[in-house]
Amino acid sequence: MRNVGIIGIGYTPVFVSKRKEVNIPEMISEAVDAGFQNTGLTPADIDAMVFGNMHTFEGVNLPHLWAAEHIRSLGKPVMRIATGGTTGMAAFHAGYYHVASGMADVVMVVTYEKHSEGDAQVGLMGIITPEVMTMLAAGIDVTGGSGMGAIGGGSAGGISFQASSYLYHSGAGIEHIDEQAALERRNAAKNPYAHLKDPEATAEKIAQTPLVSWPIRFGHICPTTDGATVCILASEEKAAKLADKVAWVLSVANCASDATTANLIESQITDPAEHLPAIIASKQAYERAGIVDPKKEIDYVEIYNGFAHQTLMYLEKIGMCEVGEAHKLQEAGELEMNGRCPVNASGGVVSTNSIGTSALNRVTEAALQVLGQAGEHQVEKDVHTALAHGWGGLMQYVTITILGDKPKKA
Amino acid sequence: MEETKIVNGAWELSTFHFPIEGRGLKTMLKNMKDKKLVGFKCPQCGMVYMPGPFYCRKCFIRIDDEAEVSDHGEIMTFTIGYADVRGNPLDEPRIAPVVKLDGCDSWIMGVLEGVKPEDVHVGMRVKVKWAEERTGSLQDMQYFLPE
Repeated sequence: MRNVGIIGIGYTPVFVSKRKEVNIPEMISEAVDAGFQNTGLTPADIDAMVFGNMHTFEGVNLPHLWAAEHIRSLGKPVMRIATGGTTGMAAFHAGYYHVASGMADVVMVVTYEKHSEGDAQVGLMGIITPEVMTMLAAGIDVTGGSGMGAIGGGSAGGISFQASSYLYHSGAGIEHIDEQAALERRNAAKNPYAHLKDPEATAEKIAQTPLVSWPIRFGHICPTTDGATVCILASEEKAAKLADKVAWVLSVANCASDATTANLIESQITDPAEHLPAIIASKQAYERAGIVDPKKEIDYVEIYNGFAHQTLMYLEKIGMCEVGEAHKLQEAGELEMNGRCPVNASGGVVSTNSIGTSALNRVTEAALQVLGQAGEHQVEKDVHTALAHGWGGLMQYVTITILGDKPKKA
Repeated sequence: MEETKIVNGAWELSTFHFPIEGRGLKTMLKNMKDKKLVGFKCPQCGMVYMPGPFYCRKCFIRIDDEAEVSDHGEIMTFTIGYADVRGNPLDEPRIAPVVKLDGCDSWIMGVLEGVKPEDVHVGMRVKVKWAEERTGSLQDMQYFLPE
């Protein structure tokens, strides 16, 4: 396989709750324009396109075809990818496959979400329609007041079982989730492309927000954001001609397992905090990148954390620390931008979640750290190697991308 | 919120034609009338699933053997809900445990009564509270109680 590098990134000018002044294709075109402006490329330089957004969140089908002019895809190969929260990174992986295989030399990955034009909860319900229908037919009480299969509220209801199990097995407390949310909202204040920013955020302030579903509070939960992100990938040969600085893809990996929600079709057998896919995918990614000890060799991590406990949980799953150690690293200040294990200097998904972009933003933010171009949220230590993590599917799908400042040796 | 438009409508469930019950859930519901819980057991690895799928999730071989499961078990994880499905605050917090019943390897979600939220913990032993009149519906298992 050929070496592949990131040669360009484009964001919408802002990531906010409501972009009323532009419609969906107009908003996407802002990120596409930024990608062209930042690289000096033109649509003629792009061989193929991969498009990603969440299915059904805006009720718009085939947005990649509807927005064809706005993403400059006319007359080019284009495929759309939708894998839930991981969409952005799954689309990035598809772009990587295009170039690594030799099928294309330069690929543009386009992702977006415009939450304000849809209803994320309706979209999420669409994912579990067969389960809900089955449970209704079998006599479930949809108010959750009695009987089997009490239904939680959207993603926050399901995720609370994961957070609860994580706390039990790690020895961390709800106060560590509070602090992680605060830490990332403080980081977000330094990122011009973050949504929820609070330079004064503290664990105490987060702890004052209401409990939604123990141990998850309102302050632990990601916002719904409008925004779009573009990432341009190129082969080593093309990158040398088209870019001054390149963040190289050292490896990609992904893994799925069972649904890990206690519904009545799949008969759950997996602890939602066990997360075998994260363990398997990260191991595979390390092997492919030639990384022996991630604790020493990975300088920076971007975790997909729709909910604040996930930063800590996934640091353990991907082997950046031992089980039960992440909250201790947090207490020691090691997860901060000037720490030894800096994570989510961007503010993470818990600060910004335009969901189609969210897993791609983990890659682009890791790339900015490798390139030394993160500006005010550039971490203190030198970043030679960075890991980006994506989480989604029906709780059970994980994507990993490892980037470096040098191309992989053949 | 004044900018939110509400469009009232009904969702005609009969227009959906999912294979509603499946063998595993049918077997489970039928036996619940007699306060029995029945799953399916993999002949190779011995994993017991309730409701039982056609294929073992570990061995990927066909499963056709029924296996009885206890109505007592252990809390594997739980949450405490403070709002209903529409987001309105509940008068009393609602405890939702995920329980691994004895003799079963898959987990089942329900409601826990008879214990204060602060006293719930992973590993807690619980039992099923059966409905007096059972009809072969998920409502036959009303909730869990501490053992």
